[in-house]
Amino acid sequence: MLRLLRSELYRLVRRWMPWIMLGLIVVIAFVFYFLIWVSVNAQLQAVKNGTLPVPAGGTAQLEQTLRQIAPDRVAQFGVSVVAGLGSVMLIVFAASHVGTEFGWGTFRTLLAHGASRSGFLVSKAVSLVLYAVVFMIVGSIAAIAASYTVSAVAGISPGSGVDFAEVARVAVKSGYTFLPYMALALAIAVWSKSAGAGIATGLVVYFAESIVAGILVSLNKDYAQIVNWGLSRNASALTRTVSGQAGPTSQDPTASTLPDPTQAAIVLGIYCAIFLVLAYWRLRSRDVTVGG
Amino acid sequence: MTVQSQEVVLHTKGLVKRFGSITAVDGLDLEVRRGEVVGLLGPNGAGKSTTIGMVLGLITPTAGTAEVLGRDVGVRREDALAGVGAMLEVTSFYPYLSGRDNLAAVALLRGGGALARVDPLLTRLGLAQRGASKFRTYSLGMRQRLGIASTLLADPALVILDEPANGLDPAGQREIRELIRELASENRGVLLASHLLYEVEQVCDRVLVIKKGKLIASGTLAEVTRGGSSYFEIVVGDKARAAQILRGLGVKEIRETPTGLDVVAEAERGAELNRALASAGVYASALIPRASSLEDVFIELTEPEAPSAPPAS
Repeated sequence: MLRLLRSELYRLVRRWMPWIMLGLIVVIAFVFYFLIWVSVNAQLQAVKNGTLPVPAGGTAQLEQTLRQIAPDRVAQFGVSVVAGLGSVMLIVFAASHVGTEFGWGTFRTLLAHGASRSGFLVSKAVSLVLYAVVFMIVGSIAAIAASYTVSAVAGISPGSGVDFAEVARVAVKSGYTFLPYMALALAIAVWSKSAGAGIATGLVVYFAESIVAGILVSLNKDYAQIVNWGLSRNASALTRTVSGQAGPTSQDPTASTLPDPTQAAIVLGIYCAIFLVLAYWRLRSRDVTVGG
Repeated sequence: MTVQSQEVVLHTKGLVKRFGSITAVDGLDLEVRRGEVVGLLGPNGAGKSTTIGMVLGLITPTAGTAEVLGRDVGVRREDALAGVGAMLEVTSFYPYLSGRDNLAAVALLRGGGALARVDPLLTRLGLAQRGASKFRTYSLGMRQRLGIASTLLADPALVILDEPANGLDPAGQREIRELIRELASENRGVLLASHLLYEVEQVCDRVLVIKKGKLIASGTLAEVTRGGSSYFEIVVGDKARAAQILRGLGVKEIRETPTGLDVVAEAERGAELNRALASAGVYASALIPRASSLEDVFIELTEPEAPSAPPAS
């Protein structure tokens, strides 16, 4: 098993895709911070110059938005940005990481050289988790660096500075919410022997389920008892807890119906296990002929 | 072709594989010993690759067992395959990795001293100059060589090669034949599935012929080719008259050829046939005894229902 994992990691670090995704999240973090500053600052200047009318309530809300750039808000703002974009990127990566083995026929090669089906799946899952950890670390560091850089350029006070413990806590919990989506993408890629199907299913579930769940709970809060067993509501429960009222779900009018965070963590863990077991069951029962 | 040890490295017993109503392999027993090269022959769809798939645990047999070095592949697959190097018909590696990195990735999976064998194997297979090139840039022949190199990383007791000469030029095919003999001389057992009967004749100690999943002939080359008929190639002008005379002698199988007739008869009847033709005033300009080649035997065994040339009248 360890030998297969070593081989997996050897191949992973020599592939372009994971490095490109890490580079992208760094660039995106900086671009996002700059865009927030440029757009909000432009509005403030326009209000001051009189080219835009003063909003009701003054410019306090704009200034509050600008304050999100400050390093002491990285845990609530920067990591949320990384997590939001990262989840999509990691779903794509998980499906590709597994699906390409069938497309290239290398799953067959690995098995012919003595790898076991369970070892294959475990090494894929472990390498995906390791990559997600690295991704969140790099993304969080990029968010911190972007925050300090843009704050310095914009002349925004760094406040109390970055709360590294809080950033780590938010990053870990946000990263945890990706895992069932990644496991789903992996399972679909195994079943369909296709990276594309894994990506499509993972993304559709990621976006569509949260939209549908949101609509249903908005219509009738009783629906929460059903949709709270899905992925998105449990993921929201965790991310809301870690990012507090300033987090991405703070504006969610249905937030009060979200499940308990501990229950959410358990449910997400169970989903991970179910998807991996389904993937293993399919791998185990499948004859491997030409093409995968 | 010295056999250094008689240890059985591969033994299958009653292997059966059914895909729905189709029986791909039907009760196959085969054995490969150290130091010998065994050819696995059969027409397309005969069940060669399915058999190899079952030996490697890629395909679950419907019935029967495959043992490598005494270990049942169905029960102790990883242990059993530790002593096997296999190259499948379609050679698949990671396109974004170089040839060397692909071998290193397999070597890490294999463990032991496999990593130290990467560069020597690239040299042995003539890939040292292109070891740093990406696999996706490799020609078909280079891919085959890399596949063969990967089989030797684990210093295997059993090497399984499925169509190893695919895509190789004549010089490359000769190199592979020499390599296969070297592998046997290193006291490894080799199972070679191939369509190239000339290749099989050159390198194999024993052959197994399968058709529709069943073993229909096995033995040494001499034993198998003895199973085929001997015949005479007769170069003659008046083919119809010659055929009539030969039928009068009780010869049943006569095929017309561009230059005369092919006549199936025992080797010792050459003088009798020649005398009969000459007595009737039909003079053959040549009467050449021919022994069936492996190709002849293979075609006889595997395509008996194929329509033959119309008999000469």
